[in-house]
Amino acid sequence: MTNGLNWRMNLKSDFSDNELLRSMLAGDEEALALLYRRRQGAIYRFALQMSGSKTIAEDVTQEVFLFLMREGHVFDPARGSVSAFLMGVARNHVLRRLRVEQLLAPLGDDSDDNAPFLHPSSDLCPLDDLTRAETIESVRKAVLSLPSKYREVVVLCELQDISYGETAEILGCAIGTVRSRLHRARALLLEKLRPTAAVEETGSATVKSARCFA
Amino acid sequence: MNCQRFENVVSELARGQMMAAEQRGEALAHSETCEKCDARLRDEEMLTRGLQSLAADMETLGAPAAVENKLLEAFRNRHVITPIASGRSNSRYWVVAIAAMLLIAISLVVFRWNKAADEPREAVNQSGPQVRPENKAPENKPSEQFTAGVQEQEDPLPQRPKPKRVRNSGVRRQESAQLANHVNNEIATDFIPLSYMSAASLQDGGQIVRVQLPRAALANFGLPVNMDRYNERVKADVLFGVDGRAQAIRFVQ
Repeated sequence: MTNGLNWRMNLKSDFSDNELLRSMLAGDEEALALLYRRRQGAIYRFALQMSGSKTIAEDVTQEVFLFLMREGHVFDPARGSVSAFLMGVARNHVLRRLRVEQLLAPLGDDSDDNAPFLHPSSDLCPLDDLTRAETIESVRKAVLSLPSKYREVVVLCELQDISYGETAEILGCAIGTVRSRLHRARALLLEKLRPTAAVEETGSATVKSARCFA
Repeated sequence: MNCQRFENVVSELARGQMMAAEQRGEALAHSETCEKCDARLRDEEMLTRGLQSLAADMETLGAPAAVENKLLEAFRNRHVITPIASGRSNSRYWVVAIAAMLLIAISLVVFRWNKAADEPREAVNQSGPQVRPENKAPENKPSEQFTAGVQEQEDPLPQRPKPKRVRNSGVRRQESAQLANHVNNEIATDFIPLSYMSAASLQDGGQIVRVQLPRAALANFGLPVNMDRYNERVKADVLFGVDGRAQAIRFVQ
């Protein structure tokens, strides 16, 4: 039974997102599973990078696909890709959720949910690993502290590596707006990271000298 | 290239975005000559590296398997295909709209039908006192016919305000409404017995026939006669029994 299911899913793995969406709306559960596995990572990461909360990221991922089940027929292929559509839905859910969360508690508090999501890399020595982890954490905090309209362009263009054109589709604005917002967002990030960068440069020099002397 | 133009392209330069080779060369050349712009480029490159590190660090993250399971379960439980559901709701609206249209059309037809039925009746009423003898079925309770007292006997009789007509659909209702109007527009005396009439003899039924009599007939029944209209005729209802004999009479204005 499971082999049969996997075989059928393998057959559909070559389907485009549009075809999978049509099949899903026609009641095909495998199409939903395939589409979910193909797109959930980007949506989850987008929500996580926007909110800094794993709980919100999970909820948003689930909400996006529930929306797709309910309202998937509103997708118009002429207006953009399925992935852009899903990301646009995710963006709306994240912003709505953040508005609610802001009313309840300030973001960035030290809870387990907002703990840094770092993966230890084994090919670096512990000190490099620590420096890298600190850098990533400081960048993550700087991104999270940006106003949402700048944060979303940074997340989409820099962290998700989505083109300006597709970002403009997701945000529903012109490409020029995406460019200018990204430029401004990077300037804000630099301002936030500059003191840290100065300290890091000093710190890394100390560490390097320490290693040299070691 | 000057510092202003360099500022416009420094982000793209640091991010390694596609740009014209000539523009790229000019920007790099400017950064070598301008210390401030060189520091700006280094900051941007450092930021790009930091963002790339963050992106790489999160690249493998994804929603937990529980989310997928919940979604698939919701999909199975749902069993509603959205386009079909949408079609159903649309068809429901269409049915309601068509029903509303039909209701309006039927109302218009009935309204016009009632209006058309009223026009000939009004024409007959306007044509004057040429009243043909009418055969009327006896009322369910004949005794009620005898309860109406003489309203007025002197001519001309004051006209009552015309009761407001209630138009109903259906021929039977039209007929009953017509009878009611006829009764309401007339004033009649009590039935005056013409022979030895008993209530029991009327239980078998009978017929009321409208006739016209010389006005002098009023005097035969002890009723006052307006001498100015002595030559005119007067309407009367004669009640015939089942044996065909006249049982009673009443005078109608």
